[in-house]
Formats: sequence, structure tokens, C-alpha cells
Amino acid sequence: MTKQRIAYFEDTRDPESMCSRCRLCELICAFHHHQVGNPRRARIKVISLGKGVDIPVTCLNCEEAPCMTICPTGALHRPEPDGMVMVKEDLCIGCAMCVNACPVGTITLDPVTGVALKCDLCDGDPQCVAYCPAKVLKLTDADRYARHRMKAFVKSLQASQEGS
Amino acid sequence: MGIFAGGYAGQILDVNLTDGSITRRPLDRAFALNYIGGRGFSSRTLWDELRPGIDPFSPDNVVVLAAGPLNGTPAPSASRLTVATKSPMTGGVGDANSGGYWAPELKYAGFDAIVIRGKSEEPVYLWVEDGKVELRIANHLWGKKISETSQLLKEEVGDDDIHICAIGPGGENLVRYACVVTDEEGVGGRCGIGGVMGSKRFKAVALRGSQDVRIADPKRFKEAIDAYRETLVGEAWTETLRTLGTPNLTGHRQKLGIWGAKNFQRGTIEDYEPISGENFREKFLLKPLGCMGCMVRCRRYSSIQEGPFAPVYTKGPEYETIHALAAKPYVTDPAVVLRAHVLCDEYGIDEQTAGSSIAMAMELYERGILKRDHVDGQELVFGNGEALLYFIEKIALREGFGDLLAEGTRIMGERLNADYYAIHIKGLEVDAADPRALVTRALTYAVATRGACHLRGFPYIDEFITPEEAEAHFGTAAVSDVKALEGKGKMVAWSEDWVTIADLMGLCKFAWHRSRNFPMLIKRGLELAREIFVATTGLPMTTEELYRCGERVYNVEKLFNVREGFGREADYPPPRFFEEEMPDGSGKGAKLNREEYDRVLDEYYEARGWDKVTGEPTPEKLRSLGLQ
Repeated sequence: MTKQRIAYFEDTRDPESMCSRCRLCELICAFHHHQVGNPRRARIKVISLGKGVDIPVTCLNCEEAPCMTICPTGALHRPEPDGMVMVKEDLCIGCAMCVNACPVGTITLDPVTGVALKCDLCDGDPQCVAYCPAKVLKLTDADRYARHRMKAFVKSLQASQEGS
Repeated sequence: MGIFAGGYAGQILDVNLTDGSITRRPLDRAFALNYIGGRGFSSRTLWDELRPGIDPFSPDNVVVLAAGPLNGTPAPSASRLTVATKSPMTGGVGDANSGGYWAPELKYAGFDAIVIRGKSEEPVYLWVEDGKVELRIANHLWGKKISETSQLLKEEVGDDDIHICAIGPGGENLVRYACVVTDEEGVGGRCGIGGVMGSKRFKAVALRGSQDVRIADPKRFKEAIDAYRETLVGEAWTETLRTLGTPNLTGHRQKLGIWGAKNFQRGTIEDYEPISGENFREKFLLKPLGCMGCMVRCRRYSSIQEGPFAPVYTKGPEYETIHALAAKPYVTDPAVVLRAHVLCDEYGIDEQTAGSSIAMAMELYERGILKRDHVDGQELVFGNGEALLYFIEKIALREGFGDLLAEGTRIMGERLNADYYAIHIKGLEVDAADPRALVTRALTYAVATRGACHLRGFPYIDEFITPEEAEAHFGTAAVSDVKALEGKGKMVAWSEDWVTIADLMGLCKFAWHRSRNFPMLIKRGLELAREIFVATTGLPMTTEELYRCGERVYNVEKLFNVREGFGREADYPPPRFFEEEMPDGSGKGAKLNREEYDRVLDEYYEARGWDKVTGEPTPEKLRSLGLQ
């Protein structure tokens, strides 16, 4: 099994297969982990750039995870060889080195507890995926994601051939 | 958090602009139990704090921005904010409601509501971050449109992840129907709250919050939201809202001929296709948007990529956009309609009253009551999109003839000696549709406490309730007959109290209080709403008590209006609906009958426990609601 993560599967030709910026992923994530309403404690965030660009961003589960490598206390660790990088909250000192090191910036410090906050895939049943009303978030891995992109590419070729 | 186990932030922020003082009041438990939040807080605050007869634009008026207990939780579609004031349009209770992200952020920032009072000497805005509050000078923001204001505030704070509720030039210039806009998209449109903010020289509230909204019983809460999700599965209305948004209603209006086009002189629109919901989707839709935590996602996000207005990116249109800026002024170029919509939002004026005022002026121009030199030399005829766009800007800036248009139709009617053509109730223009063919629809608009409003009640129950359900719930099977009068006063009164619950909780009416299945109205709007309220707050509440909260708030609003001098006569539709038959469409020939109307109004007052002559709530009714 390869490393899993949550990815955003959009289809820009279908208005309903795009993130609709409802932020339910953020809400349900914070609720699942902390039993509260507070999107700033979520491990996923919808980044909006205007002009209809809204994209949910979360942990990519890097092979050579910079967050884990840089962590000075061992709080960030990978319990299973192919599993998700996790946080041992009692070891985390809130130094935010991981926040700086993460290539996409998805790690943050919990505004309430001060320790590192990152996606843990909810024990294999990610709640953001379960609740996303547009169904554009999926639990996936590099192989599956690559196939999805290849398929989109081939569809675009097909469309241009049909159009010509 | 204080005494609450969840839901409430537990604090109300009180800002006096006259002396710059900022106070924090703990939220009282009994107040929460009786008024829930949102419109309940705002309406009771207006009743408690305002002396009768004050000028809405005077420093004595207050503006209330209120969230509900569910805002900020993952409760579905719990995004709605209530903004309220003594309305400069009606002189009565005035509130407007906006979706988006602002109400949840208010809770994360540590407050359930903000009360703004007094008047500042120079323009100011309020910056709130996690309980810290600061009034800041806003000279550099004054005169700026909504998107510029937002941009400048984000630069000033050094963070684009903040949430802003602002007025535009329309509010600053005291356009009587100026709106407030949250996060450049969510418009609290009606009743002129933006103008009152402008009169206080209060430009905006900017928020950033990272505090928890606690949930008293997380397990029960999750079960309740999952039960709600189940109710959406396969529901046609939900599908329709997602694919077409509120513009799905255009086909219905055209089919029944109830557009109220040309200032309510026409039922259908000749060149309808271009402004249909379907065409807006095909030509302009980028994608549907969801407000905070919404699974329905009826908002449109549209763009214009070619033509004279390109590029345009905007939230919208709503059905109301099309009604106000296409049907009423009879403008059927959809790009012009979208452009007009963007202008209204950017300048911060209510598009419904703006479109209505321009449409009324068009009728007066065509009738020769207004001449070309009155109207800035414009050819102000129905269908003139250029004139529509021209006057939206003139209204916001109060320039030329725009200065009169900025007063709304009631005052236009008074000044031009043309009352008959002002299609308003209590001073607020009739929105949504022409109610002439069905007396229950007219009743709902006419008795609405904020002035003409299609969202204050839900009079469509008679279209789908079964005779058995009608008998069991309203005591007469006649409620299931659309044409029957019997039981309709009761039906309208019940629907008002029931639909008010959404505004108290911070829930969206489209997601929670809309269905074509009567048992579902009860299940979602009362039972699940109660369940989710109890799970969130830990407070005790039965469905009967929850319903009574809706009724209590409605009565408080009525008391406010009665105190301002509103009598039975304020609960009548405009004369045109009694005098003129519907000119075309399937309802051709229909008009309201005074005798019938009086009958349903009597029954409505009776169902409400209000005096039939004065409309005033009776002492017994007030006692039963704990209001005496």
C-alpha cells in the first residue's frame, strides 16, 4: 500500500464538480478532532483567490516529510511505514519549525492548545471526504491521483478532437 | 463562555460611537431561552432601547448585528446574520439577513451580537479580534465602494483572512435603502440598515476569530446533523437550488404570469428566455457557492467574459436580482442585469428597492408625470438598460434625479403626488412576485412586520398539504384547498412563527424551512432544529417552546410597530392590487377583493390573538408569551 492522502478532484468543465467554498470540510474536521466549531483548528483549509478559485488544501503526506525531519522533539513521527505523519501532542513544544518547513503550509499551531495541527486521516475515514457536499475531496494516493489527472487530460484531447 | 455549555459566545458587545466607549455585557440565560438569538436578539433590543418616534437617521437609533447559537458550529447552513435597526424605509422594525461567513466569525471572535449606538464625529470602523475591540478612524475608507473597502482593510490589518461587514457610498450618502455587505458577497439588503450605519459615520466591522464555539453534547449533535443530511437525499427542491439557485423561480413566475413586471403592470415578460434561470446558468455560471457549512449551495458565482462589461466576477444573480433589475424595469439583457447587480452591491444599495424605484419612475415618465428635464435628460422608459445603470450610480451618490430615487417609492409618491404608483407595504417595496391572484400571498406580504416581504411567512403550504394533514394541524381541511379562504389566516400566522425560528437560530430558510412536504416542514423546521439547538447549547427546549420563541419575537416586532403608530391600515396591500386586474398570463383578470382580504385579515388577527380593529396584541396574548 502506498501513502494515502486527501486530494482535491475538480472538473472545471462541470460547475458542480468544483469546490463551492462552503468550508464544511474545515468545520467537520475541527468538530471531529476537538468537538467544537472552530475552523482555525481544522487541518484542512479552503484557500480562496477570488474569480472563482477556491481550493481546499491539506497535508500531502510527503515521503521525506520535512515536518518530521525538522521536528526537534520527535513529536512528528510516522508510526506505520506507509502511514500518515502524526503528532504526539505531549512531545510537541509548539516551536513551529514544522510550520515553516511544510512545502504547502498546511501545518499550523492549534490556536487553543499551541501544539502542531495536521491531518491524521481520521483513522482511515476522513470526515472532510465524508461530508464534502460537492464530493470533490477524496482519500487517494499518488497512483490514483495520477490516473485521475491522466483521464482528465485524455478527456480534454477527446473534446478537442470532437470539436475540430 | 460564561454560563452556557455551548453555542453561545456568552457576550454582547456594545459600542457607543458618540463617546467611543466599548462595553461587554454577559448574555443573560433567560434572554437566550426566550429569544434564542439573531432576529430574536435584535427585535427585542429595538423594542427595549428605542424611544418611539425617533428619526431613524438620528444618533438615538441603534444598529444590531446578531448571530444565533448555531452560527460557527458545523450545523448545516448555519451561516445567517441578522442586521437590524429602526428602518428609515418603514419607521418600524427593520431587519435584513445575510448568509456567508460573517456571523460564524463573529462567534469565533468572541461575541453573539454587536450593538452600535450614537454617532461618531469622524468616520470610524470597528476591529474585533478574539475579544479585543478597537474603534479605528475610517477617513481613508469613506467614499470607497465595497470591494475597495475590503481590500484596504485587509491591507491595513495585514491579513486577508478576515471577515468584513461594510457599507458603500450608498450608506454614507444616506440612501434610504442602503444595505450592508458581508465579505463583498452577502447582502443584508432590505430596510435601509446601511443608511443608518452611514448616519452614524460607521463604515465597517472587521473580524478575526479563533475561539471555539463549544458544543454541549457532541454525540447528539452529530446524530442530529446526520439526520438533517438524510432529509436532503433525493429532495427535488434541494437539487433545483443547487443547479439553478433561486433563479429557478423565473420559470414559475413566467408560467403563472406573476412577475409584477413594469412596476406591476405586466404578469409575463415578452422576451423572457434571456433572463431565465437556465440562461443565467448556461451563459454566466462558473459554479455554485455554499455559505458556511451549507450542503445545499444555492449561491451562484457568475462571470461575464465578453462584451462591454467584461470582465465581471460576482456572486449572483439571485432570483430577487432578476425580479428587481430585470422584470420591474423590464430590462431583458442579462449582462446588463448582472452589471446592475454588481453596481448595487458595490455601492451598497438594496437592489430590490433600487429596481422598484427606477421602475416606478419609468412608469411615471411613460405616463407623462415625469418629464425629461426631471430625470437628468434620460429617456427613462421601460427596457432602457442604460438608464437603469445610470441611475443606480446616481442613487448611490444622490446626484440629480438619483436624489429622489434614493428615497424609495413611498416618498417618491408623496413628492410627485403619485402615491398610487408606489407599490409598497409599510414603505417597503413589494418583492418576489405579484400576489394579486392569491389572497394568502397578499396577506403574507402585507402583514410582514418589516414591510412587504416574501420571507416573513410561508404561504405555499396550501399547495401541498393533504386534507388530513390540514385537518390535524390547522383544524380544517380547507387549508389544503388553494382557493379556499377558511383557515388561511391561521396558516399564515403559523408559518410566520415557524419560519422565524430560522432567523433566531442563524439557520438558512432555504435549507431548513423550505420543503414541499408538510411533515418535512415540521421535522426539519421544528424537531431537528430543536434537537440541534439542545445538543449545541445544553439548554432545555421543547418543540412547543421553540415555536413559542418564534411567536414571541413576532409579537415583539408587532408591539414595536404598534408603538410607532402602525394600525390595521398598515397591513394592507397597495391599492393597485385591488384596483387593476392582472393584465396577462394564466392569472389574467385576477385582482384582490377587499371583502375577501378583510376576511382573511380578520382570521389572521384572530389566530394571532390581536385586536381586529387596531391590530394590537391583546393582553391575554402578551401574558401567554411572558411579555407582560
